[in-house]
Amino acid sequence: LKSLLFYSGTQVKDVIIKPDAPSSLLLDKHADYIAAYGSKKDDYEYTLSEYLRMSGIYWGLTVMDLMGQLSRMNREEIIDFIKACQHECGGISASIGHDPHLLYTLSAVQILCLYDNVDAIDVDKVVEYVKGLQQEDGSFAGDKWGEIDTRFSFCAVATLALLGKLDKINVDKAVEFVLTCMNFDGGFGCRPGSESHAGQIYCCTGFLSLTGQLHQVNADLLGWWLCERQLPSGGLNGRPEKLPDVCYSWWVLASLKIINKIHWIDKAKLRTFILACQDEETGGFADRPGDMVDPFHTLFGVAGLSLLGDEQIKPVNPVLCMPEDVLQRVGLQPDLLS
Amino acid sequence: MAESEEEVDVLVQRVVKDITNAFKRNPNIDEIGVIPCPEARYNRSPIVLVENKLGVESWCVKFLLPYVHNKLLLYRQRKHWLDREALVDITSTLLLLNPDFTTAWNVRKELLQCGVLNPERDLYLGQLALTKFPKSPETWIHRRWVLKQFLGQVSAVSCSRKQKQGEVEQVDGELIQQLSDHLARMLHQEMKVCSDAACRYPSNYNAWSHRIWVLQHMAKGNAKVIHNELSSMKLWVSMHVSDHSGFHYRQFLLKELITELSQTAACLSICLPQHWPSTSPHRHSHTQANGELYGAEEDEEDEEAEETEETQRSSSTILQLFHQEIELCSDLIQSFPGHETLWSHRRQVFYLWHHLKKDHQHHCSNGGSQSVRISKSDPPEGSRQDMTRHEHGCVPEPMEVDRASLPDQRDNKRLKRGVLLPASPNLPSEHSFVDRILDSGCVENPPWI
Ligand SMILES: [Zn+2]
Repeated sequence: LKSLLFYSGTQVKDVIIKPDAPSSLLLDKHADYIAAYGSKKDDYEYTLSEYLRMSGIYWGLTVMDLMGQLSRMNREEIIDFIKACQHECGGISASIGHDPHLLYTLSAVQILCLYDNVDAIDVDKVVEYVKGLQQEDGSFAGDKWGEIDTRFSFCAVATLALLGKLDKINVDKAVEFVLTCMNFDGGFGCRPGSESHAGQIYCCTGFLSLTGQLHQVNADLLGWWLCERQLPSGGLNGRPEKLPDVCYSWWVLASLKIINKIHWIDKAKLRTFILACQDEETGGFADRPGDMVDPFHTLFGVAGLSLLGDEQIKPVNPVLCMPEDVLQRVGLQPDLLS
Repeated sequence: MAESEEEVDVLVQRVVKDITNAFKRNPNIDEIGVIPCPEARYNRSPIVLVENKLGVESWCVKFLLPYVHNKLLLYRQRKHWLDREALVDITSTLLLLNPDFTTAWNVRKELLQCGVLNPERDLYLGQLALTKFPKSPETWIHRRWVLKQFLGQVSAVSCSRKQKQGEVEQVDGELIQQLSDHLARMLHQEMKVCSDAACRYPSNYNAWSHRIWVLQHMAKGNAKVIHNELSSMKLWVSMHVSDHSGFHYRQFLLKELITELSQTAACLSICLPQHWPSTSPHRHSHTQANGELYGAEEDEEDEEAEETEETQRSSSTILQLFHQEIELCSDLIQSFPGHETLWSHRRQVFYLWHHLKKDHQHHCSNGGSQSVRISKSDPPEGSRQDMTRHEHGCVPEPMEVDRASLPDQRDNKRLKRGVLLPASPNLPSEHSFVDRILDSGCVENPPWI
């Protein structure tokens, strides 16, 4: 097997999947892992990741919902927490005492959609907050300090789409900006002139789906770039000559799904790779086989398997990474290319 | 080891002070790190300064971080008062341990706004954090904010200067000179910070996209800076042949430089391959190779005399840039077989060349009234995007490129003598290159195929 990874003296950056790696889906273990995650708050670890707490909760709850286990999480506590994180300006922060940001505003709205309870927060103020971050050129700042990134364009339209308020911003201008970030390889970067990156591509194709502009994507060219992310191990990387990773597998796979090119990769091999990233003892998924698990990669592992058609998991929406039944309830059906 | 709350309190305050003092003692600290050390050693500070390296012993981090973290959050919730000096110290310690803590950077932005914090000291803190966390998105984001504040000041001064006239102009002139020197120093410093981070973590997306941002905001349209970057990157990419982000940066530079040069190159001179004086031995074959793209325009030759030397030089520089870039690609692909990055770079360079030709052709057939762009992803506004100018009589704008550092001086001399002009990339030459690589056995099919 090792010979697979070498040719002409050049090592392909990839991993080796050991024969004894997990090959079946350990759903119960994963549910136990996520359910227990919040309770063991080691001071140091908890502190280190508090700046993204709201997204962490979204990852945990979404994967639980996809596995049909959402009821194991503490709904009331979480909703109170979100309420306490909404600021005067309408924006929501990662945790109490942190500053509001679009990233965590989207995560909070996603969580409240899972719980069918968006009215727990002041929705009008959220809309005002998002609207206020749009710039003259159509781009979005992540917060009041003004950093521009196509990720934030996605956060803005995803938040508003979930709230049914997409008409409150200048969508045409927003689209115009995202398209200036398209590169010759069909991909997208964080700003005009920046390198294509699977995470940014996910955000930009998701953005174009939510705004009904997917026809602006060069699906063949982008699909080519995306399917070239698959490595001999079956895993996908996020850029050329990077290692495969479960989270990038999701971003690439979801983008391929959005532009209707999912059949351009070897689905069975990708499934093998994702399953091999499970930890049989602790539950949860890691970025690569044998690494430490975390809720982030656990969500994207399970969501990836759902997109690949695993019937033990609820169908996931590739644009918003939320269960399809939740989006049906919200009344949101983002476009996919056909 | 400290255990009770009060003991932790005392310990942490001492450590924060030790860190502050270390920076006072040595303002040239250039790297930070955690020293693996599970147990406290009696009567010794966990802060270690060796030459210009600052180390924190690992045992104290698990006390230190939660303590300063919670203290800052209490301050943010107005539950605990901290004076400005304490805020500077606490955010420094916090961000060296956890540089993605956005809110701590925001506290520093507020301190910068009220003038408590020196912007250069703040950029320095970020630089140190990047030695241990070279990807840290929030550190890069904060840097851009600080730089934008500075750029805002520069443009405010230049604007006020334009409004006022007369006696104060002399003084303002000096101020502007100072600011532009300062700007040049900052630009240089940012490039260094980006290089260091790029060396510490391969394909560092945040470092390279920051570098692009810096050029777009601090050296927009400055062909000299872009050209110097392109030259210095040549060695770097040759030593990092799988760093896709580094190569993307090179593609960005190439595109920017060509855009700049094209402003001075008249429409015709971009067609150089077939218009170049017949002293070029390559001329005939070029006409053949590109004939179907350009169409033969032999009768244009007479008008060449009207082209200024400046324009010719710009055009030939563009051609040389492409030639040298393709040559670099060929060398690297042959020396380091099987790198996706190198092929992807070649694809982009060829694409750029192809579009330059195609746009030019389109431009000419439209009577030169339309502005032409390298690719559709370019921002639509701004005359800089104009690839070509059709009017033969137009006076070229002065070039900022340092002649002495033009690509390969030997080629320049040859060019002046009119003996040899490098071949431009074309489809047949690409195909034969690929055939050569496949035949040479430099690339085998991967065994799974
Ligand atoms: Zn990952």
